[in-house]
Order: sequence, then C-alpha cells, then structure tokens
Amino acid sequence: MAKILKPTQINRCNGCEMCIFEAQRQLKKVGLEDSLIRVFRKKNPETQVMEFELEIDPRINILDVEKIESICPKKVFEIQEEPKND
Amino acid sequence: MIDISVKKVLSIDLENKEVAVKSFSDLNKYFGGTGLGLKLLEIYKDKSPLIFSVGPLNGFFPYASKTSIVLKKDGAVEDIYIGGSLSTRMKFSGIDSIILFGVSQEEVILDIQDSAVNFKDKDTDPALLGLPGKKSGIYFEGDKLMCDQYFTTPELYLESIFKEKNIKGITITGTEIFSPKNFDDYKKLYSEILDRKPDIRVDSAEYPSCSGCPMGCGKSKVGEIGGNILLNSLVACQFADKIYTDIGVVFSCLNTLGYDYTHEDIENLPKLIEDTIRNISK
Repeated sequence: MAKILKPTQINRCNGCEMCIFEAQRQLKKVGLEDSLIRVFRKKNPETQVMEFELEIDPRINILDVEKIESICPKKVFEIQEEPKND
Repeated sequence: MIDISVKKVLSIDLENKEVAVKSFSDLNKYFGGTGLGLKLLEIYKDKSPLIFSVGPLNGFFPYASKTSIVLKKDGAVEDIYIGGSLSTRMKFSGIDSIILFGVSQEEVILDIQDSAVNFKDKDTDPALLGLPGKKSGIYFEGDKLMCDQYFTTPELYLESIFKEKNIKGITITGTEIFSPKNFDDYKKLYSEILDRKPDIRVDSAEYPSCSGCPMGCGKSKVGEIGGNILLNSLVACQFADKIYTDIGVVFSCLNTLGYDYTHEDIENLPKLIEDTIRNISK
C-alpha cells in the first residue's frame, strides 16, 4: 500500500518551510517553483496570531515522505497508509 | 535558473519609476549581504540608497535566514537584519541586492517578481500582491514595518527611511530555482549542518520561524543590528555563529554550491569591508 503524507497537526506549524526544501531536494532542485508542498502564512485578524496552511500535491507519494515527515521540527505530519481501492 | 557566477543587482529609481538589472562579476569578492551592501553604498553614496541584500548561503543552507539592510541615516552607516521569508524569496528571485534610489512622488507599494517591478498606488492591499506561497512582504502595520506580518527590525531606521522615500511596502515573489554543482555533496552537507542544532545559541520554541530555520525561536522577531562581518555577509543568523564563522565550513558550503571562492577570499573579507567603510566616510 502507498504511504501518504498528512499534515495532521497543522496548528503546530511554525512556517520554517523545511518540508518544502526537503521535497525540492529530493527532486534535485532548490527553490519554491513547482514544489509539491506549499506553505501559506496568515495572521488571524481576531487573535493576531500567525497561522499557517499547508497544501500538499497528491504526487508527493513519488517522494520519500518519511524523510519529509522527519525533517519537520514540530511533528506536523503523519504518514498514513493509502486506502485500498476495491 | 539562478546564476551564482555574478552579483545581480536590481536598482529601482523611485522618483522616475525606472528599473534596471545589473550584473557585477567584480563584486563577487564582497560575498553578499552586508559586504555587498556596503560596497554598493560606496558606489552609489551620492544617491542616498536603501539596500537590501542576501548572502551566498541564503535559501541554500539552514540557519542562513536573515536579510541584510544597509542605509545611511544622519550621516552614519547602519546595518540591520530582518528575519522571515524575505531572504529566501530574494534568493529565489535570482537577485543578490535591491537598491532603492531617490524619493517617490507619491506613496508607493513595490510589487517585485523576480526582476520585474510594478509600482502600485498606496490604496493597493499589499497582502493581495505576489504569488501565494512564493512571496514575502514588508509593509507598515501602524507605525512599524513588519515582514510577513510578524518580523521587525531593531530601532526605527527602516521605518524612517521608508517614510522619507514614500514607500508604503514591498512584496517580493521568487520563482527561480537552482541546482548545486554536486547535488549529493550538497545534500550531505545540508544534513550535517542541520544536525548541528545544539550549536545554535537559542532554544527551540513555538514562535513563527524564519524560512530555512527550524528553531522557531523568540529572538528572530526583532531582527539584529551590527555584528560579525562574515556572518553578516553570509546573512546567517547571529545565533548560528558557531557554524558560520568557521571558515572551513563556510568554504565547504560555498564550494559545494559551485561558488569560486578560496579560503583567502574569506579571510580577506574583513579588510575589504574596513576599506569600504573608510571610503564611504570620506
């Protein structure tokens, strides 16, 4: 079964973008263009606290997702087994 | 593709709304960051420039996450540093320095994408400019300039010069990529440096982090002022000094990326900067 990367603890994200850079390194490049992970930051207008959102391209499965999970300093990700299609 | 063989400078004439991109191969010996910023200040000292610069390691190695800002205020040269994602966006725009000359005739917001600049009027919402996920913005929230709506600089030098120049904000989007000369060596060195977390002189915490730094420390919010010239030319964090003042480590990082620096180039940098500061003061 394929493994999928899920940001299950997004509230912990600190916006360091280490996950983006790891994913890009696995594709032998440095930069943000065509990244399979994107991080968006936005200040909550009510609490004035910085919040982050993650967008993960389903093609992330072509990469070593365990490495991406382990580079995150805040343990934002979890690796789950992709459900089997009957 | 980012070209590291030259220093690429984006100059913006605020008064005439003119933009130029210049490549300087003879400025490579100033490395980047404050070294490059001070040399550009010397070259353009009669045009009261405000200079943002990144260093050769920004965007490429961990803990090298600040942006250098060099300016002259009341006759004194100031070098200040801001955190956030500005340095990676500048790096991925392929630009080493951005120089802002003159005074805009009306309040302006600069929307920069790679080397292209759009002059937007003061009523534009800067948060809506740039490409999501690939941009960084520095603009006023009240009387304070904030990068990524969180990171600031020490003192009020930057706020004061933005007001003098009639700049309300700047957004930068970087869409270029880079492939280091020897990718396997690069990945190995990256991991080795990342693993040196215990050498970073701040504790890991729960605050927003600079791009490319896992620490999330409480110190980066307010930026830095002054400090070690090698660190400031690499524009590495001052709390990563155990790593980035080690000439052997710095040489390995530069060499792996494909820069053509020698150990002597690194050792000679302080003297070059000293001479540059002397020339600016003349």
